Amino acid sequence: MKRMQFKMYGSFGSRVVVLLLFLLLGISNCVAQASSSSEATMHTNNWAVLVCTSRFWFNYRHMANTLSLYRTVKRLGIPDERIILMLADDMACNARNKYPAQVFNNENHKLNLYGDNVEVDYRGYEVTVENFLRVLSGRHENGVPRSKRLLSDEGSHILLYMTGHGGDEFLKFQDSEELQSHDLADAVKQMKEKRRFKELLIMVDTCQAATLFSQLQSPGVLTIGSSMKGENSYSHHLDSDVGVSVVDRFTFYTLGFFERLNMYNNASLISLFSSYNPSMLMSTAYYRTDLYQRRLEEVPVTNFFGSVMETIHTDSAYSVLSRKESGGAEIRKSTDKSVHDKKRSLLNSIELDQIIKVNTKDQQGTSKCKWSAFLQEMEKVKDVDTFVNYGLVLIVPLLTASMWLT
Amino acid sequence: MAEAEAEAEAPKPRPRPIVRLGIFLIAHSLLLSVVCCTAGILTLLLLPVLAKNTYISENALMPGSANSMLPGQEVSEANRLVKDLTSLDLKPVGGGIESQRLIAEYMSDLGAEVSYHRFYPQSNQFHPLHFLSYPESGTIRENVSCSLHGLNTVGIIRAPRGDGKEAIVLVTPYNSGKIGPGEALSLGIAYSVFSLLSRVTWLAKDIIWLAADSKYGEYAAVDAWLSDYHMPVFNGLGALNAEMCHGSNILNELKDDSFTERKICDGFRRAGTMAAALVIKVADRSEQFENSLSIYAEASNGQMPNLDLINIVNFLAVHRQGLQTKVEKMWSLLNCKWLKILGEILESLGHVARSLNPQWKFGIPAADYAEGIATLASSLYYQALGVPTGPHGAFRDYQVDAITLEISSGVFSNDKVKQNDFLLRGGRLIEGVIRSVNNLLEKFHQSFFLYLLTSPSKFVSVGVYMIAFALLVAPLPMVAASLYIDAHKLDPSYENDKSTPPASAAEKFGITFRSCKWLNAAKKVFVVHLWGAVVSLLPYFVCQIPSCTPTISFVVWVSLSILSLLILYLILGFPFSYVNASSQSQNRDWALLKSVTISAAFIGLCLMSVINFSTAEIGALLLVPMCLMAQPLKLDVKARILRNFSRVACNLALGFIGFPPAAFFVLKGVFEGFGGISVGYFWNWLETIWAWNSATYLYIGMVHLPCWVLCIHVLFHPC
Repeated sequence: MKRMQFKMYGSFGSRVVVLLLFLLLGISNCVAQASSSSEATMHTNNWAVLVCTSRFWFNYRHMANTLSLYRTVKRLGIPDERIILMLADDMACNARNKYPAQVFNNENHKLNLYGDNVEVDYRGYEVTVENFLRVLSGRHENGVPRSKRLLSDEGSHILLYMTGHGGDEFLKFQDSEELQSHDLADAVKQMKEKRRFKELLIMVDTCQAATLFSQLQSPGVLTIGSSMKGENSYSHHLDSDVGVSVVDRFTFYTLGFFERLNMYNNASLISLFSSYNPSMLMSTAYYRTDLYQRRLEEVPVTNFFGSVMETIHTDSAYSVLSRKESGGAEIRKSTDKSVHDKKRSLLNSIELDQIIKVNTKDQQGTSKCKWSAFLQEMEKVKDVDTFVNYGLVLIVPLLTASMWLT
Repeated sequence: MAEAEAEAEAPKPRPRPIVRLGIFLIAHSLLLSVVCCTAGILTLLLLPVLAKNTYISENALMPGSANSMLPGQEVSEANRLVKDLTSLDLKPVGGGIESQRLIAEYMSDLGAEVSYHRFYPQSNQFHPLHFLSYPESGTIRENVSCSLHGLNTVGIIRAPRGDGKEAIVLVTPYNSGKIGPGEALSLGIAYSVFSLLSRVTWLAKDIIWLAADSKYGEYAAVDAWLSDYHMPVFNGLGALNAEMCHGSNILNELKDDSFTERKICDGFRRAGTMAAALVIKVADRSEQFENSLSIYAEASNGQMPNLDLINIVNFLAVHRQGLQTKVEKMWSLLNCKWLKILGEILESLGHVARSLNPQWKFGIPAADYAEGIATLASSLYYQALGVPTGPHGAFRDYQVDAITLEISSGVFSNDKVKQNDFLLRGGRLIEGVIRSVNNLLEKFHQSFFLYLLTSPSKFVSVGVYMIAFALLVAPLPMVAASLYIDAHKLDPSYENDKSTPPASAAEKFGITFRSCKWLNAAKKVFVVHLWGAVVSLLPYFVCQIPSCTPTISFVVWVSLSILSLLILYLILGFPFSYVNASSQSQNRDWALLKSVTISAAFIGLCLMSVINFSTAEIGALLLVPMCLMAQPLKLDVKARILRNFSRVACNLALGFIGFPPAAFFVLKGVFEGFGGISVGYFWNWLETIWAWNSATYLYIGMVHLPCWVLCIHVLFHPC
């Protein structure tokens, strides 16, 4: 395309036209780039933000919900440093707890959720709407340690799980403030703008959870809530030994689903979403897919609840310098179950480099490296030929206009 | 009046709608008063139908969500305590402190902090300045005799992981001189719960067990402990008391005894602020009350504990322990014919409504209705009386929610199994309530404080029962205004005003004269109210008369009251003298007086409704018809028509029932039979009221009685 531009410069020399063309090209370039980043960026890592928003002893189950989810995602492979756990109260050390320093999500007391390997990032009164939004948008004060930040990038799949007391388009935080659906949508939008995620699964277990998603607009967001508007989400059962309800229905059945899975299982999201039985939940689980591009049947749950990514098979370990190779890196979607396990590997270094180059592409420069990066970028645009054709067609009226003017 | 003039002169700007509505209502005040009064009484009768089911409003409480943990072992221990206590009673050798020592021993065996609390009973004296005041520790210790003292035993369990800022109190009043079987059982129940709680890990609030020595009354013991708990004495008075009584020799004696090695704490032990208090009693009742639980909740001045506390107890008793809960009711009302008929009418109305629209559910069975009215009447009466119905009343003075639970059992025989079962049930009930309150995060605040119960599981909240009162008192200001306006319309000088332009000397005189008339009426009303205040203070002096029977005291009081009325009359002078012009002016005179009386009654009733609603409600039932009907008998007698005679009869009847002692005796006679009524009863009744510093006494003396006198004055007005 650049060659074309030079050609035009040579033949006409009209500055207006050139400027116009530059503008045009710039815009088209931008569009191409944006579409490419969301489409073609690889799923590189997994994050989980798990939030329990309510305090007080009688909300024991919310903390148990969150801790159960925490345990599950950890078991399925998201490391602790990529989990932001927010617990609004400390039930384990509540004086009313019959089992000090233990939290259970079942009355059989088989599983202590509050074992020795729990890393709570935000606890007690730190769990505020402000801090929650800061975590999502990444606008922290300078002193906030890395462990309390969501350091995701544009290849991240994020699981956002929230539980507490909600209502029509809000979720109560602590006993004093609330997160509205607008706030959530705004935060997600900011995240999208700042390329903090590739795909985001928001899972909410509150009353009228579905209403919390009504304002979301950002692409790549998948949401599921425990209940529709006007419905309550109920607790599953009461532990008459501890004296409180220990788990909510929606979370209980979610956990039941995951208990059957291990890290290598390939169950799809739709199998999770369709596993919710309204008569068991006593509410209707609602999921919104209109912002999500992929088909739920093709997405394994471990894409969000675990840290399982697509494999990139490369011939050699490092191939940054040779752009041909990087361009021709074979990207294979391993949907085949048999080969899936073997091909599983961690993030490819080539992919990382590619991202870095994309990010720094805007810098002006004539070095070969930059040039190659540009070309590489162009190659990623699939329909480059049609694009060029359109450009040519566009030039014809411009030419006639300039001819007529002169 | 000035406004009326302005309106008449300048008709161009239409008055605002609210003003027009007011004028309209004042113009139709007669109709309004009839409609409103009837509606008020009807609404009161409808309250059982309008009552809502109670529900637990506070999420944190979660009653019954935990299984009871009380095992049989604790119960057998408790049985041992009961046996020890009753056997102690058989051989009265110790100096009256054996029982305290025994209880302290049992408490300290459980690892609780044990301390004794000594107190001195107070005499019930009339203190004119103590009404509505905060209980003070300083002023009441005047005539303490050292020989008379009670000894409370207090055990405290600290919550193992609690912050020690809050506490739950268990109270078991018992007579240390002679322990009855019921008292022993109540101590047994408290002990079984206490011993369980000393082992559990889930306590967030400290537990205080107060074994109150009820030798000098249950209330006195609890009140003394509470006032010492809340008002620590640092040097002055406490030291004084100790000096007066030569040290705490009895306490020393107790400590020197057999179990010196055990830890009995010196001084007064405290825990945190009290979240709730439960007074446990076991009643010795007949078989038909077996396995029932009576709840007493009324505290001084009709204050009630938070409805949630009653709800928890009711819920746990009914749904967990299978006990039948009861609240006080007026049994005599249950057999009333008219109540049954009314109940049946309402029931059939409910059926009709339901057949029209299945959504309308307001009919209740006739029997339920009668029960509801009986309970409501008793609820109203005990609130209006302003006297606490048990030791829990002492807690309410410190804004602690408390109720008395009286568990009835037919088992005072030696039936071990039955007794075990009883102890287990009672203990589990108390444990459940404590566990639920233990879950509480703040004070009780979620549910109602202002309510009337129509059954243990039904209540009428303030928003509903205020309607009855509001309807009753609504006509008062209207009628007062209408009387005032009528009195001026009748005035001939007023007519002159309109025709002649202002600023003539005669007209000026007219204005001053008219306002003078109004002021005279106001002055009269003020003087009578002043007299009412004097009458309320008189018992202070009557009490000083030594060795006086109630009848004599009452007679002295009445005669002194009449005397003081005469004296006031002579000193300040009722202005009959210089109003002897025309009959019309006389007519105006009584109308003005009635108008001002009604205004005063209205203000008094409204003020009282803020302090104690039930008093105001009952007062309004008696006072409002009397005030509205009052009209000089002379006018009616002169007219000689049947209608007027019936009015005379009505007036006389209302005047009779409006007199407080008459109302008291009539009501007492109706509910309890007229046999053996003496004048002294009223004195005794009033004595209890002022002994408890009830605002009802002030209401009777300073609102009801003066209004009655003024109404009688209007009735016998010389027209």
